Amino acid sequence: MTTTRVTEQSRHTAHVRYITSAQSKLDKIQEQLSTSRRINRASDDPAGAALALRHRDDLQFETQMRRNLENGVAFIIISEAAMNGATEAIQRIRELTVQASSDTLNPTDRLAIAREVDELTRHIAQVANTNFGGAYVFSGHQTKTAAYSVIGNPPTAITYQGDAGQRTRRISKSDVVPVNVTGPGVFGTAFTDLIQLRLDLESGASATTISSHLSEIDTALEGILAARADLGARINRFDAVTAQSEQTDINLQQLRSRIEEPDLAQTILQMQQQSQALEAALGAIGRTANMTLLNFLR
Amino acid sequence: MSLSIGLDTAVKALRAHQLAVDVASHNISNANTPGFSRQRAMLRPIGLMGADRYSRDSLIGRAGMGVEARDVQRVRDQFLDYQVRNALGQKSQHSALASGLAQSELVFNDPSDDGMSAIAGRFWAAWHDVVNDPEAPAARTTLVHATETLTARLQRADADLITQRKDLNRLITSIGDQINQAASEVATLNLQIKQIELNGDRANDLRDRRDLMLDQLSGLAQVTYAEQGDTTITVYLGSHELVTGNTSRDVKAVADVGNPGMTKLQFSIDDADVVSSTGTLRGVLDARDAGIPSVQQKLDTLAAGLISSINAIHAAGFGLDNTTGLNFLTGTDAGTIATNATLVANPQQIAAASGLNAQGDGSNALAIANLQQATLMSAGTETFDEFYANTVGVLGADVNRANGLTESAELLNSHLEGMRQSVAGVNIDEEVTNLNSSQHAYNAAARVISVIDDMLDTLINRTGAR
Repeated sequence: MTTTRVTEQSRHTAHVRYITSAQSKLDKIQEQLSTSRRINRASDDPAGAALALRHRDDLQFETQMRRNLENGVAFIIISEAAMNGATEAIQRIRELTVQASSDTLNPTDRLAIAREVDELTRHIAQVANTNFGGAYVFSGHQTKTAAYSVIGNPPTAITYQGDAGQRTRRISKSDVVPVNVTGPGVFGTAFTDLIQLRLDLESGASATTISSHLSEIDTALEGILAARADLGARINRFDAVTAQSEQTDINLQQLRSRIEEPDLAQTILQMQQQSQALEAALGAIGRTANMTLLNFLR
Repeated sequence: MSLSIGLDTAVKALRAHQLAVDVASHNISNANTPGFSRQRAMLRPIGLMGADRYSRDSLIGRAGMGVEARDVQRVRDQFLDYQVRNALGQKSQHSALASGLAQSELVFNDPSDDGMSAIAGRFWAAWHDVVNDPEAPAARTTLVHATETLTARLQRADADLITQRKDLNRLITSIGDQINQAASEVATLNLQIKQIELNGDRANDLRDRRDLMLDQLSGLAQVTYAEQGDTTITVYLGSHELVTGNTSRDVKAVADVGNPGMTKLQFSIDDADVVSSTGTLRGVLDARDAGIPSVQQKLDTLAAGLISSINAIHAAGFGLDNTTGLNFLTGTDAGTIATNATLVANPQQIAAASGLNAQGDGSNALAIANLQQATLMSAGTETFDEFYANTVGVLGADVNRANGLTESAELLNSHLEGMRQSVAGVNIDEEVTNLNSSQHAYNAAARVISVIDDMLDTLINRTGAR
């Protein structure tokens, strides 16, 4: 082994280097611990940083998808509630129609039934004009316009003012779905039929004529039920996609934190090691710095 | 006769050891002076002056004529100097590049909760909110704010990068000044060393200073040098003469026509460009002209991509008041990107709908929101998010690489510096030992004088008639 000449300056620079190096490593670890982040800038781990960014983008996207889903579910629930109200009203109309189909009913009773049918028809029209957050839910794209306008009192016509527009939104990376159903899609020709029913009741039409309206009423009921089933299926799908998105979120969070955050136990251990290293360096320097031949000469 | 020779020998010894003590004292004084090389008194015996002249038979005079200090030399290894200077050039180059790029990394502040990527994420999310509620004024206002935040962030990043380039550019002038100072000092030292050494003396300390200046020059730029027969050193910067004899050629900072707003270094004498492949100069230029511009360019590409793709879709759509044909963003690059002022003032004109009179239609907004997943960047291989993530990743890798190179160059440099110190540096214990041994020798020589004095006393005072 060759002996290296150690000089004042080389000893000094070496001491400075030991201390700086130990301090800077300790500093890095302290930064990781105090920020709870392993990657504080991209250069700390370039590949990891790029990957973490992708996870962060995906996380933010998933959050927005769940927001879209929530908003969509609310829209659907409102539509469904409206349809529920319409169903009940039409069922009541069906009962009344069955009553009115009997020849034993006198004209006064028929007029009373006609008035109730009118009330119920207007109620259905009101329900069809349900507004959610400033948007008429059954108007297609014409959300600022009521779905149906009621003309006349008692109404002689209830006409659809919306369009066939679909209110679509993205609910996942692969799915864009509509959340609305349009007035004609739900109510079909129900309003025209109900107005005709009322007119027939008022004009004292035959029991046969009245009972012929039953099949129209059944068609209307089926139409609404079909639309409700459709919306119910959508809600189920939204729930499934939400659950999936939540799972994706958990997975992505784990992936992200594994990349971005330090392993606490390991990092604390490293900090202890580094502070011991610094202490050892300081101790060694303290002990050798005053060692000189001069101490031993008289 | 021989006794007086003995006295003479002892006096020479006193002088020689006195000098050795002086040298040790000089070394100890400069133990911590940067660039100082330890010096050695070169003692050598004085041989016989020709014993024949006195007597062939006599051994008197054959003992030699004592000691003389022939020279005081610097202990230094020029090959190590050469290696250290090479390493210095590398170290300064990489560390200048690393610190230049490290700043641009901070511009993005990513990955973090409020970095540019999070801001872009909120921008896309705001589009989805407009899709969800196209008729809602709140969703539109939120989109306007999210867009303004994003465009302001891009503009600030662009402005920060421009400032960083300007800051680096200022360094060029200061590097030029430092080169001029060191070069002119080398030229002055060349003259002084030549004058002293022509008389046969040693200009050790001036040579140390000149070596230190060469160290400094090597850290600044790529220099080569050669010592001439007349003890002067000729220095080349790149392949251009920087110092010859007692003349140095100044460099000056001038506007670089091919690089608008930036300066370059030229030799004043012939307007030749200063070319350097190492040193701080190279590192600063690499960061200024390659590192930062490539980041700027990527940001511009990103901004231009956003502007053109979003505008194309937006202009085809319709606002709540049936306005159509409006651009959503204005500007052409990261420095000029902005939200269309008309839309800031009238969010209802944001074209969320694909058709006329369709307030509940968010399908055009959805088409814009879908751009987040569209691979429109890098020849249709990357989305905006991916392009940005890779930009940050590549910059991080560049900084990381420059840091790594700096660290290894520093390690090499400190190793070589250690070796150089090991040869040329002062060890106080060693000097104290030398001091002791010179002191002993000096004391002994003094003792010799008193012995000869006794002998002369015996000879003169105690012999002959009494």
